[in-house]
Amino acid sequence: MNEASPDSAPAVDVAQAVRQRRVEVAQRKPEADADVNLQHIQVCNYSFFYGTTQVLFDVNMDIPERRVTALIGPSGCGKTTLLRNINRMNDLIDGIRHQGDILIGGQSVYDRYLEVISLRKRIGMVFQKSNPFPKTIYENIVYSLRVAGRNKKAELDETVERSLRGAALWDEVKDRLKESAFSLSGGQMQRLCIARAIANRPEILLMDEPCSALDPVATGKIEDLIDELKKEYTIIIVTHNMQQAARVSDRTAFFYLGKLIEYDDTQTIFMNPAEEQTEAYVSGRFG
Amino acid sequence: MQKRQQRAVPERFVVRRATLYFDRFMNQFIKVGGLSVIVAVSLIFVFILLQVFPLFRGATVEWRKDMPVPPGQYVVMGTDEWSELPFFVNAGGEVLFVDTVDPGGPHNRGHFTRTPGLADEATVSAVAFNEMQTQLLYGTVDGRFAIVDVQYKATFPERGGREVAVELDETPLLRIGREGVPVRKLAYGGSGVQKLVAATQEVEGEFELHAVSLAQQRTLLGAGELSVERSYDLTEFLTGEPEQLAIPRDADAVLIGNTDGSVVYLHFDGQEFTRRQVFVPFEDREDRRIATMDFLLGDVSLVLTAHCGANRVYSIYRDPEADMRIWGHTKTFPDLDRGAVFYSASMRNKAFLIGDGRVASLRYGTTETIRWQEDLPVQATLAALGPRYNRLLFLDDQYSLHFYDLHDPHPQAGWRTFFGKIQYEGQATAEYSWQSTGGRDDFERKLSLVPLIIGTLKGTLYAMIFALPIALLAAIYTSQFLDPAVKRYVKPTMEIMASLPSVVLGFLAALWLAPIISNAVPSVLSAMLGVIVGAFGIGYLWGQLPQRIRMLLKPGYEFIAFVPFMVLIAYAGWHLGALAEQFLFVVEDPDTGLVIADFRLWFPRATGLGFEQRNAFVVGFVMGFAVIPIIFTITEDALSNVPEAFRSGSLALGASRWQTAVRVVVPTASAGTFSAVMIGLGRAVGETMIVVMATGNTPVTEFNPFTGMRTLSANIAVELPEAPYLGTLYRTLFLGAMVLFLMTFAVNTVAEVMRQRLREKYRAVE
Repeated sequence: MNEASPDSAPAVDVAQAVRQRRVEVAQRKPEADADVNLQHIQVCNYSFFYGTTQVLFDVNMDIPERRVTALIGPSGCGKTTLLRNINRMNDLIDGIRHQGDILIGGQSVYDRYLEVISLRKRIGMVFQKSNPFPKTIYENIVYSLRVAGRNKKAELDETVERSLRGAALWDEVKDRLKESAFSLSGGQMQRLCIARAIANRPEILLMDEPCSALDPVATGKIEDLIDELKKEYTIIIVTHNMQQAARVSDRTAFFYLGKLIEYDDTQTIFMNPAEEQTEAYVSGRFG
Repeated sequence: MQKRQQRAVPERFVVRRATLYFDRFMNQFIKVGGLSVIVAVSLIFVFILLQVFPLFRGATVEWRKDMPVPPGQYVVMGTDEWSELPFFVNAGGEVLFVDTVDPGGPHNRGHFTRTPGLADEATVSAVAFNEMQTQLLYGTVDGRFAIVDVQYKATFPERGGREVAVELDETPLLRIGREGVPVRKLAYGGSGVQKLVAATQEVEGEFELHAVSLAQQRTLLGAGELSVERSYDLTEFLTGEPEQLAIPRDADAVLIGNTDGSVVYLHFDGQEFTRRQVFVPFEDREDRRIATMDFLLGDVSLVLTAHCGANRVYSIYRDPEADMRIWGHTKTFPDLDRGAVFYSASMRNKAFLIGDGRVASLRYGTTETIRWQEDLPVQATLAALGPRYNRLLFLDDQYSLHFYDLHDPHPQAGWRTFFGKIQYEGQATAEYSWQSTGGRDDFERKLSLVPLIIGTLKGTLYAMIFALPIALLAAIYTSQFLDPAVKRYVKPTMEIMASLPSVVLGFLAALWLAPIISNAVPSVLSAMLGVIVGAFGIGYLWGQLPQRIRMLLKPGYEFIAFVPFMVLIAYAGWHLGALAEQFLFVVEDPDTGLVIADFRLWFPRATGLGFEQRNAFVVGFVMGFAVIPIIFTITEDALSNVPEAFRSGSLALGASRWQTAVRVVVPTASAGTFSAVMIGLGRAVGETMIVVMATGNTPVTEFNPFTGMRTLSANIAVELPEAPYLGTLYRTLFLGAMVLFLMTFAVNTVAEVMRQRLREKYRAVE
């Protein structure tokens, strides 16, 4: 995909690279934007601490755009932490610290010039437990537009239809948009959350075990949806379900105890993993 | 039939008996406990209700006995304090006493007659009766008068019981009006220094009115001889035939009721008479003729009846237009069938017994209510209301005396007294007023709860204006913006505030804060305004700063940058306020004539409203201080309990912290927030010590922030020592307690209903 895969490269001077990259971004001309691939995520020598507990150890990943990348590994291995750091959702937690950097389209998510709000507008997120707001279906979807001050009815209506269609929910709810989001079933709610996440047309979609609370039928629908969505979005999905990872993802990263053990094409990981731990995990012998 | 095998239960599956018993016992115990609480609360309410209930009952009157009286042409009837030895005066001036105790018993004196000496064997031509002082007034055929004091004396002999003796103490005959002409009507009023007698005479078909002021020598041995000080001819003021005469006990007026239905009010300033007012009490009636005209207790109100049966009360008060004390129509009672035949005023309160013979009616002057009314089985000609307000005596045309027991412990009480506007004596308009005690014996209690309810609402309103924005915004800030590390210290600190005893807060408010605030109102206001505007201003400027500078402060620590500016702005506001006072609030000092800058003087001058040192503004501050921690803590808990998923969901969609707080967190926590506000409201409504100490306790009915108030709770605390057990005030305080209870009950009920609805609406999915 990109030139040098970071996990194979020797430890680069990240600080140097980041500084240089910032200068580049700062000096970049607007018309050059088209050249920069804003859907491309790089994780460079990234370590993360909750207080004194280190939960990620020197992770290096290069996540390709418009592909589905699955993060797998046993509970507590740090995959969700990594996901939540991509859009800096961990910021509000007390006593966190990180080393290394995460770059999106070459720009650090920790860039002092970057508003965290605008970062999050670029990245949609779907949580493990569906979390629609206590509002109507319609209002849930247009929330990201409303907070951006976009209140034109035509635009909102158009967004609602597009997002719901995108989340394969339109036919089921088009007649009850003014009903409370809580009136939906569990699977519908999760698809509503996906619709909500893509309403503002982000470039990246983070999914944190989106199907863990759903039955197989709803799971199937969401997996189909992910297949559909990857045409437009870079998708990172955390999952405990090995079959799901195998079904939906293009690339898979296996984490164990905060370390990235192996990161490769999904097929390779499942059929022919390089590491023994990976093989043990994907074959169900531990985890 | 195979016997079923009793399988032994392995011991590990056996539930211990003790566990089962204890479980059952606790189950019942908790049930009983819970029910007891409900019962106890209901009993308190029932108790209060029982205390209040008698206030709303009318008088009960019960027939006790009848008694024959020797026939005679009686014109006056009176009685002693215990209604044991009533007397009747006939047209000839003879006074007949009837011993009503134990008829036929060993101590019964039967009836006996006393005739005043009335030197010169003058023949009595007129008799008048001053009920309040039990004084008879005799006019003679030769134009003289005498005052006869009926003096009852009670002794309590050792064998028990009570013996009432009577003595007549008469003044010598004194001259009034034309010599040799019979006195037709006369009236006397006097107490203390000034005494006045007025009399009408008919001279050759023309009516004349004369008055004398009396002087009494006071010697070391007591009151001396009464003598005429000065005579006045008031004939010029007559407009018709004088039918009624009345003189109040202050002896500063003569009131003349004429046959044409007009009443002439002559004012006496101690030297001269002037005609102040002529009014027609029954102007709107076809038959305007006045039947009776008598005073109520206090001699400030006149009870008038017309021949047509109309019954009205006129009172004297300072009329704002005329700028002097004149009589005005204040109360209207239902009509009798015809003009009153008998009238007797209570010596305890503003009640009067009135009737046209067949119908007897006990009415209460202040509240315009009929306490009791009945058709008598006989035709009554005279009546007396026991001075203790416990007996009704009627004399019928068959010379039989009827005794009734009167039980009316709370004659003044009623819906109108507590919740309606009433024009009390001396007031120019009907008002809501509370004044439970006064300096004089005949002072009438004013028991409107409306000023107290308004005071309660006023205190609550100002406390809430101050507390709500601070508590709610502080809670939102603490739970949504402040760094968790700082929050760990902020919350307990706020909770310590809640534990401050309100008596300490009230003490501080009254003795320390009130003087400071009243000395520097403009400074306080401008500092507050400065802080509010400053907060918005700095917030806006902060938002305009580039991200690079804002990044210098960790999110949640922005207050470090804000605090110095806010202190600076408050400081500047304080001095700016003082400066503004110098220029804006300039008045002329009424004492020195100098022009000074003082808001305390300027405010009443500019707005016409009052300014007091202990005012609602101070109370709002301090009571707000007492309420803030409660609202803050509960709101903060509610906001923090909003599922993290909602917050994350909103933040992940690119909403700012403020947008997340306002659009998602606050609505979701609205049920809890609402409870917090209502609990704070309940606390403010019921708060006592702060308002007792810092409000001045003036029962006003206005919402001016710079005057005090009296709340229901403070009223109970303040009046408790003044309220005799089971008295009207005692029960009224219970009524106040009940109103307070109902207010908080209503607030809590509304809160609970709203809370349930909000909770239903923003119920999080599980």
